[in-house]
Amino acid sequence: MSVAADASNPLIAVRGIVKDFAATRALDGVNLDIRAGEVLGLVGENGAGKSTLMKVLGGIETPTAGSVSIDGHIMNLRGPADAQRLGIAMIHQELNLVDELTVADNIFLGRERVHVGAGRWFVDRAVTRAGAWKWLAEISADIDPDTPVKRLSIAQKQMVEIARALSCDARVLIMDEPTAVLTARETTALLAEVRRLRGRGVAIVYISHLLGEVLGVCDRVVVLRDGRLVTVVTPGELGTGHVAEARLASLMVGREMADHFPPREPSRPGVVLEVKGLSVAGRVEEAGFTLHDGEILGFAGLIGAGRTELAEGIVGLRRVAFSDGGGITLSGKPLKIGDVRDSVEAGIAYLSEDRKGHGLVLGMGVAENTTLAALRGFCRPLIDRGAEEVVTAEYVRALSIRVGGLRDRIDTLSGGNQQKIALAKWLQTGPKVLILDEPTRGVDIGAKEEIYRHIQMLTRRGVSCIVISSELNELLGLCHRVIVMRRGRIAATLDGAAATEEGVMYHAAGVGATDAMGDA
Amino acid sequence: MSDTPTPSQPRPFRRWLDRLPQWAGPLAALMLLVIYTVAHEFLRGGGLAFLRPENLINIVYQWSFVGIIAIGMTLAMTLGGIDLSVGSLVAFIGGLGIWVMNTVITAPGIIQSVRESAEIGITPDYGAFRAAMAHAFVSIGVGGSEAWGAAAGMAVMLVVGPLAGLLHGVLIAKGRISPLIVTLGGLAAYRSLAQSLVDGGEFRSSSPVIFGYLGQGGIPLFGGLRLPYPVIFFALAAVAAYVLLNRTRYGRYVTAIGCNERAAVYSAIPVGRIKMLTYTLVGLASAVSALLVSSRMNSVSSGQTGLFYELDAIAAVVVGGTRMRGGAGTIAGTVIGVLMLGVIGNMLNMLDAPVYLQGLVKGVVIVAAVLVQRRDGRES
Repeated sequence: MSVAADASNPLIAVRGIVKDFAATRALDGVNLDIRAGEVLGLVGENGAGKSTLMKVLGGIETPTAGSVSIDGHIMNLRGPADAQRLGIAMIHQELNLVDELTVADNIFLGRERVHVGAGRWFVDRAVTRAGAWKWLAEISADIDPDTPVKRLSIAQKQMVEIARALSCDARVLIMDEPTAVLTARETTALLAEVRRLRGRGVAIVYISHLLGEVLGVCDRVVVLRDGRLVTVVTPGELGTGHVAEARLASLMVGREMADHFPPREPSRPGVVLEVKGLSVAGRVEEAGFTLHDGEILGFAGLIGAGRTELAEGIVGLRRVAFSDGGGITLSGKPLKIGDVRDSVEAGIAYLSEDRKGHGLVLGMGVAENTTLAALRGFCRPLIDRGAEEVVTAEYVRALSIRVGGLRDRIDTLSGGNQQKIALAKWLQTGPKVLILDEPTRGVDIGAKEEIYRHIQMLTRRGVSCIVISSELNELLGLCHRVIVMRRGRIAATLDGAAATEEGVMYHAAGVGATDAMGDA
Repeated sequence: MSDTPTPSQPRPFRRWLDRLPQWAGPLAALMLLVIYTVAHEFLRGGGLAFLRPENLINIVYQWSFVGIIAIGMTLAMTLGGIDLSVGSLVAFIGGLGIWVMNTVITAPGIIQSVRESAEIGITPDYGAFRAAMAHAFVSIGVGGSEAWGAAAGMAVMLVVGPLAGLLHGVLIAKGRISPLIVTLGGLAAYRSLAQSLVDGGEFRSSSPVIFGYLGQGGIPLFGGLRLPYPVIFFALAAVAAYVLLNRTRYGRYVTAIGCNERAAVYSAIPVGRIKMLTYTLVGLASAVSALLVSSRMNSVSSGQTGLFYELDAIAAVVVGGTRMRGGAGTIAGTVIGVLMLGVIGNMLNMLDAPVYLQGLVKGVVIVAAVLVQRRDGRES
């Protein structure tokens, strides 16, 4: 498969890398070869050490012990600039582009193309633009170099990052969860580009939670667990399809994976939430649906289909408009629209998809975050810190959250544990309706299962849930019914036999576009 | 999931450092400064003038006016904001208060003067507005009373300060203008207002005794010493703000907004109201400071009173360990920061440092204090 992969002469040889953070050992003696012209998958649960390993390669972290050799020479990487000079480029999950600058300026950021001679203090616009054209054409990206980056989609921004990496003569491209925020169609395009880059002899390190994707595109897959390299496998060794994914998953967690989804219980007939004729300017058009008592209602759709906007409109985080006869009723009573505090008071909680940006206050502690949305209940009139800790400890136990101390800063926790705290924060408000937007994004498998189980348990206690997710199997496994949105409208409501991946994709992408989705 | 801490070689000193409260660094610096001053004095063979109780009380007394503002500033900066208008506001509020007080106390004189001017046909010394006020005060029976005048003046200060703060808060929260811009406007506007009220001169109090009581008086201690009221107000403000910031919903929300405003909005926190309340509290702090400083001098200079208070207050807050970006504020640190600025000035005086170089030393200490506090890339 990999034409240029040369096992005897690795491009990068990692030997015995150890990395300690204070009392935590993030990497523990990792040995690894990266060969030219291969796609090397890197999988592991959150906290397994993937990001740390990549940061060591990218020169962002200095290892406590061990060495990194490039072309057989031991290198001392002192910063990202060193790594870049040696041909190692990283594409982070949070893209590192300057939004206000144009595509061309971003590609040559830090290596500006200047005039010759007396004009060397000035950027040569024509050369910059031509250079940008060349590299964008190289990866067949149809992007105008003069566009400001802020107008690009995330997929286009990734292409700009790749072009920038290539323009730096990158020989190793490290991609951290590149498809996490892409639509199925964009993912297909990106994976095709990854294969093309491999053909040119570039080594690609591909980090992803989506095991199907990893198995599909990678030549070898490295499994990390607790900072140690568990094994290196080729996808062929694992078999095919779901069997291979399950085997890979059990390698990651170190045990056999049980069924992800606990059995559903039937929802009860009463209607808890009814939304009619709700529009959000430019995002959602006349959406309406009902949520039954104890139901888990899924929302599927491509990125930008308006699911998050609909949810934010319902809870009052966005300005909404209603058509005649429209409105929102909660347990039969009309809901006051437009103020998030009123919605929370009435019993609707919204767990945001953007955990770090909107969901949690990273600089504050575990207990402070847990009680933040329901702090009034802890004021007598000063905050009762003891009560705060009792309640937090209860959530920590019920959701098996791994924390050091209850007042530890929340950014010391892994993504999965952070997400559970965010969930606890909303549970503490005592919601009747819980809207979960991408509840398992960036969360490892173990935590995912626990979150699923907890959602199930909530419905037994009379909480009705709405789950917005881009992971189809999650929606199909968890939800009673799945609503599919397309371009701001509700395209279909599927339940029972109609709720299949094909059915959802058919409605999400619109007629005739289904084949483009195949690779997802 | 597997953030399993595999114990590696522990570094006890490092961990011990990390566990110290935010204000431990500033406190250590303050102690070093004190030790240095004392040692220097001692080696020079002089007496220990610095450590004499009246000197120590005097340092705090002189800095309590800025200190009270620094307490308010800590709230604003924890919120991720700032208030540059405080110094000008002190001059304006103090001036306005004295102006109102004088109008009450001298009301009969004003009325008489206006009447006499009219009789001989010259322009009166007082405008129509002030004359009308004087008439009003006389008609309700307070005209000419020093006590009522002082009460009215102080009441005006305590009302106008928070109102100005509320105005800032509304512009920031509802108008979505950056706090820096809003209060920069205030910095220019309030001083100009104060100066225009007295043509750039001074507001001299017409209260010989009563108005000066709070600023100049104090509680008798041992050996003829007094604990001045401004010091007591500073302490009360610090305690109140400490409780507010650390033990109330308001304080928790201020910290949350300073850390991550989006997350605060999404957590159903009334962000706008918290901002307005915070700037109102800064306005209240300015008002209390204005009241005490004008009482202490029994006058307000429209050009000099409160000058650079905003910079001293911000310096004290930052030296104390509160983050410029918001989200981490410490009242104890701010109090230490205020004391540090006071000790530096006092020490330089005692060491006979050249007057014009004192600002340089202060500047270096401020930057150095913040530099030393940077831990684990957490910038201050």
